[in-house]
Amino acid sequence: MQNNFFTDISLNHYLVLSSILFVIGMAGVLLRRNVIVILMCVELMLNAVNISFIAFSKYTQNVDGQIMVFFVMTIAAAEAAVGLALAVTIFKRFKEVNIKFFEHLRG
Amino acid sequence: MTPDVFLFWFLALLIIGSGLAVLLFTNPIYSALSLAMTMVGVAAIFITLHAYFIAGVQLIVYAGAVMVLFVMVLMLFDIKAEIQAFSSGKISGAIKLISVGLLSGLIVGGIIMGQKSFVGELSKDAVQVAEAQKVKKSTSPDAATKELGMVLFSKHIFGFEALGVLLTVIAVGTVALARSRGGTHHAK
Repeated sequence: MQNNFFTDISLNHYLVLSSILFVIGMAGVLLRRNVIVILMCVELMLNAVNISFIAFSKYTQNVDGQIMVFFVMTIAAAEAAVGLALAVTIFKRFKEVNIKFFEHLRG
Repeated sequence: MTPDVFLFWFLALLIIGSGLAVLLFTNPIYSALSLAMTMVGVAAIFITLHAYFIAGVQLIVYAGAVMVLFVMVLMLFDIKAEIQAFSSGKISGAIKLISVGLLSGLIVGGIIMGQKSFVGELSKDAVQVAEAQKVKKSTSPDAATKELGMVLFSKHIFGFEALGVLLTVIAVGTVALARSRGGTHHAK
């Protein structure tokens, strides 16, 4: 294998890009305390997975990966809607969108 | 350096940089704008992978609808800057960073190690499949989108219907949730 790393873009490049983006999103979910920023980082992770789906779909010449990305996007939009509605509910009660108020949400 | 290669590296740097900006900005509005930039970069990556329809959907759904939702909710909250943006505790923060680093190292190492066995085989298979399909396969965006629609509405039709039901449930549930008074307990 005499491929040059910088000039031959292969499947691995897309997979590494996707994993780096996924890890950035995971670090955001773990480290941030604002509920809305946590939701944004979840969207980042979903996008990372979409990149690897599309890359596999191209390199195996199979359209099923693109269908899967379509489904993931729809679910992600629904998840953002529900998460933001929850954030609005929390903000109405506590006047703050910090993740530490989630421990008071009994009932 | 061909245009394709330049485009990949440019988009990769753009995506990683704006992804890090989402994580590092303490003002949530700046995070939202960086996220929009990341979405546009991912859509461009999809175009370089010849997934034209998915790129359009990405722009409309993510960079359009979801980002408008985020920004509207942020403006509803009127948060200038957060008092405590990152989680407190140096030891737990260090543990989280170490676990994130371990995960990234494992993933990248796994991809690089699997390069010869799995991916090499895969690309060889893909070449054969592409050779076999070369007669009917055309690379124009129209044909690719048509094929996508054919598969979506024949092979995956039940998933599509289930998605419709799910979206209806989500729409009703979100309105009910936003109108509720928020649980049975009292605020402190």
